[in-house]
Amino acid sequence: MNNLSFLSDRKSLALALGLLMMVTVPWWAGNQYQLHMAALICVYWILISGLNLVIGYTGQLSIGHVGLLSIGAYAFAILAGKMGWHPALALVVAGALGGACGLALGLPSLRLPGFYFAMTTMAFALIVNELVLAEVDLTGGGIGLPGPAFPAPLDSPVGFYYLAATLALLVTWLSWNIVRRIWGLGLMAIRDNPVAAQAVGVPLFRVKLMVFVFSGITAGVAGAMFASLQSYITPDTFIFELSLFFFVCIVIGGRGSIVGPFIGTVVLTMMPELVAPLAKLGHFFYGLLLLLVVLVVPEGLGRVFELLHERFWPRPVHNDAITPDLKRLARAIKDQA
Amino acid sequence: MNQSLILPVVSGISNPLCSTESVLAERKSSLEAVNISKDFDGVSALSDVSLSLQPGQVHGLIGPNGSGKTTLLNLLSGYYQPTTGSILHGGLELALSSVQRRAEIGVARTFQKPRLLPTLTVLENAMLGAWSHKQSGFLATAFAFPQVAREDKQLREQATELLHGMGLGYAIGRPANLLGHAEQRFLEITRGLLMKPRFILLDEPAGGLTEHEIEHLGSVIRTLRDAGIGILLVEHHTDFVFRICDRVTTLNVGKMIKRGTPDETRFDPEVIRVYLGA
Repeated sequence: MNNLSFLSDRKSLALALGLLMMVTVPWWAGNQYQLHMAALICVYWILISGLNLVIGYTGQLSIGHVGLLSIGAYAFAILAGKMGWHPALALVVAGALGGACGLALGLPSLRLPGFYFAMTTMAFALIVNELVLAEVDLTGGGIGLPGPAFPAPLDSPVGFYYLAATLALLVTWLSWNIVRRIWGLGLMAIRDNPVAAQAVGVPLFRVKLMVFVFSGITAGVAGAMFASLQSYITPDTFIFELSLFFFVCIVIGGRGSIVGPFIGTVVLTMMPELVAPLAKLGHFFYGLLLLLVVLVVPEGLGRVFELLHERFWPRPVHNDAITPDLKRLARAIKDQA
Repeated sequence: MNQSLILPVVSGISNPLCSTESVLAERKSSLEAVNISKDFDGVSALSDVSLSLQPGQVHGLIGPNGSGKTTLLNLLSGYYQPTTGSILHGGLELALSSVQRRAEIGVARTFQKPRLLPTLTVLENAMLGAWSHKQSGFLATAFAFPQVAREDKQLREQATELLHGMGLGYAIGRPANLLGHAEQRFLEITRGLLMKPRFILLDEPAGGLTEHEIEHLGSVIRTLRDAGIGILLVEHHTDFVFRICDRVTTLNVGKMIKRGTPDETRFDPEVIRVYLGA
């Protein structure tokens, strides 16, 4: 809803502040590790903002995107590392491959009802990991592969951060364009009321597939960036928990929003750092946060301020009666045709 | 037999019967269910029912609960496929075509229980109706081609005008889950109008409305009729149906028992016996 209305002044201000913060991260990040974390958030967000269209807007609960991330990462490591391609080209191919695999996964699975769809995507993620382990010649098996760096100046932590941030912004812009137009309404109709979506002519399967392929491309690109950021990838990097992590970022952030899942991604990625003195309790806080959000603000973190605002300054509800303006109605129908 | 009637008239051959031409034209522009039967696992819900919706006419569909009214509406709008029989529009056989295809052709509908998107505003819910007419593809939208913004603006204006016309102008920015029952029903009709429909199928639109709101509904339906839209009105408020409809079809246990004008229907002994009561 937020993203469909035109930006108000306050939202523009928040957006400008957010962008300023993103640009200045290298200056106020205390050390290399924090910059690494910022880059990791951007890389995760490239995947999650695409996945957000699938889960948050279209309501298709995919828990297999770590498989697509893994495919992108290994494609990049093999092409840019073993085969010596230019990393930029390898990045593009990793995205294309992610999209193709998204298509191959979406074609049989997106017709299935929710639960079975989720199971199919999970199976996909598990199969990908097993294949990576088995294809030792290609992927290095359990030993893994080095993730090549980008050429200068993108090889430095600062340079890489800006590359990741730019890609993250690009993907955010693309998905924001989708959700604020009639396409976004169509996606949310599939999520909230497929029968009504059909009635207005939304081809459910085709639209779901388009969005899923889009999320596959972003996952592939994110995978390539991930491989380069981690500088070494093994099958252990792409455990199924990472898929759940992406899913939870969106659920905690709130569906039908872009800001919410972004906050979710930042908070959950930083979580181990925020509770560093209690490192052993990291999983505990992760679970606690999920529980709190689901019980207290099921609308998601992204809408906390909005909900507080409504709570303390409720909008007056006018109980107007419907009185049609028939002349205007007749004219509006005529003008349409 | 029906096939021959919907064939286009061969030009150049003068037709001695002018009325035949007008009948043909009427058949081409109407939405027709011809000898429709529908079984669910061998249980017959409708048998051999025919119904013809004309542009600019209100057609009532009445009958006791379980008589097959909603089944017929679902067949016309494509949620069900008939066991036998055809559904025709403009010389096209629609019986097996999808719900979405019918939306493109211009068959809109509302539901017994309004189906809206709860978190979206009234304006957004209405705009969704324009889905089939949008020109902007997924990629054009993602990359914000200039025509996308233009189309979006135009759509917003159309939806705003229609909402004001329907009397929902005051609630335009309200989320649909804060709407009253009548507002939801009127919003669903508005969404249907954004589809630029030739026909709109209303499933018990007066259900749960006050007398006053039913009056408004009636005047809205007359306005749609005068704009040339064909309306199917499935309804239990028989007074309302007889007041507003041009033709009325009465069903009972899946069979048509009467088709006629409101007056013919109202005084038909069989309709009185099975439905209206003495």
